[in-house]
Amino acid sequence: MYRVAVSGINAVDNPGPGVGIAKGLKGGSLEVSIYGLAYDAMEPGIYMKWLFEKSFIMPYPSAGEEPFIERLLYIKSNYGLDAVIPALDAELPLFIKSSSLLESYGVKTFLPTEEQFKLRGKDHLPEIAERIGVKVPETRIVTSYEELSKAIEELGFPVMIKGIFYKAYKAFNISQATSYFNSIVAEWGYPIIVQQAVTGEEMNVVGVGDGEGGHFGLVGIKKLWITSLGKIWTGVTVRNEDLLSATERFVSEFKWRGAFEFECIVSNRDIYLIEVNPRFPAWVYFATGVGVNLPDRLLKAALGLEPERDWDYPAGKLYVRFTDDFVTDMSEFQRVVTRGEN
Amino acid sequence: MKEVYEKPVILKLKTGMMNKFGSSPAYARKVRKDIDGVPVEELIEEFGSPLFVFSEKKLRQKFREVKNAFTLRYPNVEFSWSYKTNYLDAICAVLHQEGETAEVVSEFEYEKARRLGVPGNQIIYNGPYKPYDSLVTAVKERARINIDHFEEIADLEKVADELGVKPRVGIRLNMDTGIHPQWSRFGFNLESGQALDAVKRIASGGKLELVGLHCHIGTFILDPHAYEVEVKKMVDFAYTVEDQFGFKIEYLDIGGGFPSKNRLKGIYLPPEVAVPSVDEFAERVCSALLSSLRPGDYPKLILESGRAIVDEAGYLITTVHAAKRLPSGLKAYVLDAGVNILFTAFWYKFNIEIDREVHGTSEPCVLYGPLCMNIDVVDDLTYLPPLPRGTRLILSPVGAYNVTQWMQFIRYRPAVALIGENGEVDLIREAEDLTDIVRREKLPERLKLEW
Amino acid sequence: MGKLERLAVNDEGFIFDPETGNSYTVNKTGLFIIKFLKEGKSEEEIVKALSEKFDVSEEDARRDLVDFMEQLRLYGLLEGENV
Repeated sequence: MYRVAVSGINAVDNPGPGVGIAKGLKGGSLEVSIYGLAYDAMEPGIYMKWLFEKSFIMPYPSAGEEPFIERLLYIKSNYGLDAVIPALDAELPLFIKSSSLLESYGVKTFLPTEEQFKLRGKDHLPEIAERIGVKVPETRIVTSYEELSKAIEELGFPVMIKGIFYKAYKAFNISQATSYFNSIVAEWGYPIIVQQAVTGEEMNVVGVGDGEGGHFGLVGIKKLWITSLGKIWTGVTVRNEDLLSATERFVSEFKWRGAFEFECIVSNRDIYLIEVNPRFPAWVYFATGVGVNLPDRLLKAALGLEPERDWDYPAGKLYVRFTDDFVTDMSEFQRVVTRGEN
Repeated sequence: MKEVYEKPVILKLKTGMMNKFGSSPAYARKVRKDIDGVPVEELIEEFGSPLFVFSEKKLRQKFREVKNAFTLRYPNVEFSWSYKTNYLDAICAVLHQEGETAEVVSEFEYEKARRLGVPGNQIIYNGPYKPYDSLVTAVKERARINIDHFEEIADLEKVADELGVKPRVGIRLNMDTGIHPQWSRFGFNLESGQALDAVKRIASGGKLELVGLHCHIGTFILDPHAYEVEVKKMVDFAYTVEDQFGFKIEYLDIGGGFPSKNRLKGIYLPPEVAVPSVDEFAERVCSALLSSLRPGDYPKLILESGRAIVDEAGYLITTVHAAKRLPSGLKAYVLDAGVNILFTAFWYKFNIEIDREVHGTSEPCVLYGPLCMNIDVVDDLTYLPPLPRGTRLILSPVGAYNVTQWMQFIRYRPAVALIGENGEVDLIREAEDLTDIVRREKLPERLKLEW
Repeated sequence: MGKLERLAVNDEGFIFDPETGNSYTVNKTGLFIIKFLKEGKSEEEIVKALSEKFDVSEEDARRDLVDFMEQLRLYGLLEGENV
């Protein structure tokens, strides 16, 4: 029995990957007991007892390394903890920095290196694209209205206005562009990325790199229906060889370690790299569902077991997300609030 | 036996706020009863509140850490103390004792360094505004001058004629190192060819000897890679200058901008995760140097690190003067120190330590300073247990920029104390009083009041 | 005092208002005060009880009680005329 903690259990309209990861782990070949790591007492995963045996409120990563690690060690010493699969961007730097410390306490992870993690910054995309032979939409980095309007003049409408790590909006005129610019700056600060809007098929690949240039499986999908927040609601598996081989080049060129999501726009034979996420996407259960159980394989890699490497998934499998609900007692909530765990 | 008392607190649970740990750093609840072994209360009794306290031990330790990181990796390094970061005599003296030269950006700082006993040739004179007379003095005293613009080239040529000497000068460059915003207002732009024009101008004048390049890419730089880019571009440019104009570039002054373990607002991650170690910066800088320099050529590497050295050595002790409840339900504290003496509060979120154990649940609160101005906010949201009046808070790191940028607005500036390596406490700047402020004032006879 | 009486208060300091659906957490001292308020005790009685049970002066207790009741009022848990 392995005890594994999973974060990102906020299965809401902008869902974290935690529930998908947990479903994969439950359906894998290892016997696991899963703990949820939450940042708010309202995160739905806390109440999904069929997936998460226990859940713990974590201090925010911004509160510092020490309380965060202490909290994990509290879980370790009171309930046992063999591995953690962090799934939120904000906590990854902390986990990456502390991975050897956690390892020394017997808490395993399987994460990208610090250098790899930094590649996720959208300002690094041209470098990645060049090294693996794909394209990037023409991009300008701006820090003022002046630079913004200059960039738009050069790129033409529509343009994508993006934060360096989060948020992306398509703007069709200058007033939209300015308002997105302002709202991203207010929330995430400078710089802002202005990008040519490329038309084509939006395709994503999820995978787990082995850290030596190989991987434990890839699954390529196309989003068929997305919500107003840009989250996938329906999708289909695809086998686009150009896309998959570009992803494999990415994994081998950067010796990627751990989970990742490779987001692209495929326009005929051109592949435009849009984003690299250094963690599982929220739809990771799709991979499990088509026979490539990536969460399970990642856990094995973390534990030092040899994961499977086959990934011969079929094209044309459909992913359907749906809403569900259940009723529980206020006392569950009360315990999370007063004790920080349940 | 009575039970331990906690001030009563009730908190409404709100989605997105239901984290019993809050978002405040753990050290927000840390107790600090002393600084380097000297009790906080003793310091306040002697010098009053608020009080800036510097740790000489920490200052020297931090400097040596930075020094070692670079000198272990490159054979020819000079550290030049950035006066603007903190120009208290005692602080400068400690760093000069450690071997730092002086980096000044105004005639005032220049005079202050000279007064402290720093020889002219141990001073680096930077900045966009160098009054003519100060250039005359600096050239006479053989200070190293880094030129900011074409007018200054002309000024220096005039000084050269006047004194009949050939001043040895550097030029300041600005460049794209991937850092935003780019500091393009200082010096000559590299990419546009302006910097090369400046060299041509100096060469054609024939009155100045170009011996150095200077650059300063920004402040609180969290990406060590930017320095690698800076160094490579500077070395390339140095060789262009040497090969085309026959000058010998003797020093590469890469400026400062290294971060301290302070929490910049808008950076989500805690400083211990977000701020790279000084070794990482040193590794990038020195390996970029060694890989791009020609064999056997080791120009002097100059570093003007300020914040990274002094910030963490400085503390501010402040006292809770009042607690109040805002109409929003938020708890507010009025402190005796505000943005008047904590200029950096606009950009940084300080560590907050409490001088005693305070029982009770932490609640969200805002810390106000003593000014009757809305902008006087030391921390707009932190989590503290209910603090009784008179509680001392110890804010850190505050060693950089505060004691140079503080303002005398409606209040006197407080005392500054230095704790020596053996625990001795010295007053290094007295608290101001009325005489400091009125000394320069003149009241016309006809306005004298007769009350 | 009708409002306070409706509140479901448990010993861990969790308060649920069945009328509004709002939840609150309260510390030990706050819990102590709420129990007395529910019993209809006067401010002076509560101050006295606080200083008898806890290590606090009557003066400090009085000041804190005023602040605490202000919080209750801001949350709409205490009606104006009771204060």
